[in-house]
Amino acid sequence: MDSASIYYLGVTLILFLVFAAIVARTYSRKHREKGEEPKFRMMDDDKPTDENKGGRDVRRK
Amino acid sequence: MNQQEGYADDIVKGFVIWSMVWGLVAVLVGVFISFQIAFPQLNFPPYLTYGRLRPIHTNAGIFGWGIGSFMAFFIYITQRLTRTSLWSPGLAKAQLWLFNIVIALAAVTLAMGMNRSKEYAELEWPVASLVVVLWVIFAVNIVMTIVKRREEQMYISLWYILATLVGVAVLYLVNNAAIPVSLTKSYSAYAGANDANVQWWYGHNAVAMVLTTPPLAIFYYFLPKATGVPIYSHRMSVVAFWSLIFMYLWTGAHHLLWAPVPDWVQTLAMGFSVMLIAPSWAAVFNGYFSMNGQWHQMRENYLVKFLIFGITFYGMQTLQGPSQSIRTFSAFIHFTDWVPGHVHMGTLGWVSLVLFAAIYYTIPRLYHTEIYSIPLANVHFWLVLTGQLIFSITMWIAGVQQAAMLNATNPDGSLHYSFIETMVELYPYWHMRALGGVIYLAGLLVFLYNIYQTINGGKTQAAAQRA
Repeated sequence: MDSASIYYLGVTLILFLVFAAIVARTYSRKHREKGEEPKFRMMDDDKPTDENKGGRDVRRK
Repeated sequence: MNQQEGYADDIVKGFVIWSMVWGLVAVLVGVFISFQIAFPQLNFPPYLTYGRLRPIHTNAGIFGWGIGSFMAFFIYITQRLTRTSLWSPGLAKAQLWLFNIVIALAAVTLAMGMNRSKEYAELEWPVASLVVVLWVIFAVNIVMTIVKRREEQMYISLWYILATLVGVAVLYLVNNAAIPVSLTKSYSAYAGANDANVQWWYGHNAVAMVLTTPPLAIFYYFLPKATGVPIYSHRMSVVAFWSLIFMYLWTGAHHLLWAPVPDWVQTLAMGFSVMLIAPSWAAVFNGYFSMNGQWHQMRENYLVKFLIFGITFYGMQTLQGPSQSIRTFSAFIHFTDWVPGHVHMGTLGWVSLVLFAAIYYTIPRLYHTEIYSIPLANVHFWLVLTGQLIFSITMWIAGVQQAAMLNATNPDGSLHYSFIETMVELYPYWHMRALGGVIYLAGLLVFLYNIYQTINGGKTQAAAQRA
């Protein structure tokens, strides 16, 4: 196996691990509630005004 | 800026209207070239020939109608999901002008025969350079809006939007690398099989980053808005997103099966293409499960009908596509009329149905009015559905017949049919395809009339309120 093949194999394995980590985090019990939160919060996004932001203002206060 | 809502929505109106204009051009030219195939005497050299008009059809459809609408809805959706106004409405206005200039230049230069001979990357370097400027302006504005967002987490549509911005930039820059020899001519920076490999890495990922990720962003936003019920699972949509992103970029070489590119590249592309069924169908199931307890809305809510049929066609498309990427099946249907049948199920069935729903949803809201006619929207739905099904099904049947004839051999191994014999047998299918195109065009005209009257109604009401 030449160095280029080892490099490609390494990159492939790293990408696979990154993907596995994303899946594990997304479906972790700890992340469950937070992971589903955006689908509820997007339902009332029609007005961005201060009185009706529809939830937490986490940035740019 | 539309101050009442606090979002920069005037620019959304501009993009929606212009995308509809280019969509009409795409379908008009598409119907005309379908007649040119059925009746070759309708070719008028040099400008009005199939060879010149076909890339105008695809560019107006994919870039004028598709990208124009995506720009509109990315701006619309991003502002709402970040609960902040667009970073720079002025930049977006410049983007709208540049967008229309680019599409008009594309139409003119392609009609003049300036063509790089790369499918979906036909534009010569001066116009392609303007596309790069256009995309940078667009990407900066959307990314900066996301950066200053007021929401901690990003809804799935924003992930698909970001993927589109990055993906298109990378694909376009790499595949358009060329050495200009004059203002109207350039040569690809790559040679031979490498050039073909780069082209189809781009070509198939144009399907990914233009005809998949943007409509998914729009679908995930407008389905819950239309039904009033959140999507089934946000976490499933996130995993499906990352699966799609990890897999899609490897699939391009399935366009080069049996071609002189390395065998392992073809096999890799084939493997990843089949694996893509999983994330694609995760989105389809997410759409279907979101309808749990809401299926009655298919009868009652015309928007839901467009969206659910759209995601259904996406599901069918993402089963048919991987099937076609398998060597044996590809050997049979490649270079036949099966392929335009497949492509138009995606563009007319999936992408356009979702875009129609998004336009029906947003235009009344942007103009503070109601849709002019729901019955007309239903007529529109059935006409475009019928037209598209006639188009796709006739082309699949034509493709199978063509493939069978092209592959038929005599006992001594010689071909049983000449190429021209296979062509002559296809005329009835081409006539039916042209008919399907006319029906689709009729549906599109009903849609445009409905939207025109809705906008007119909104303007009249606004004028009455001011008075």
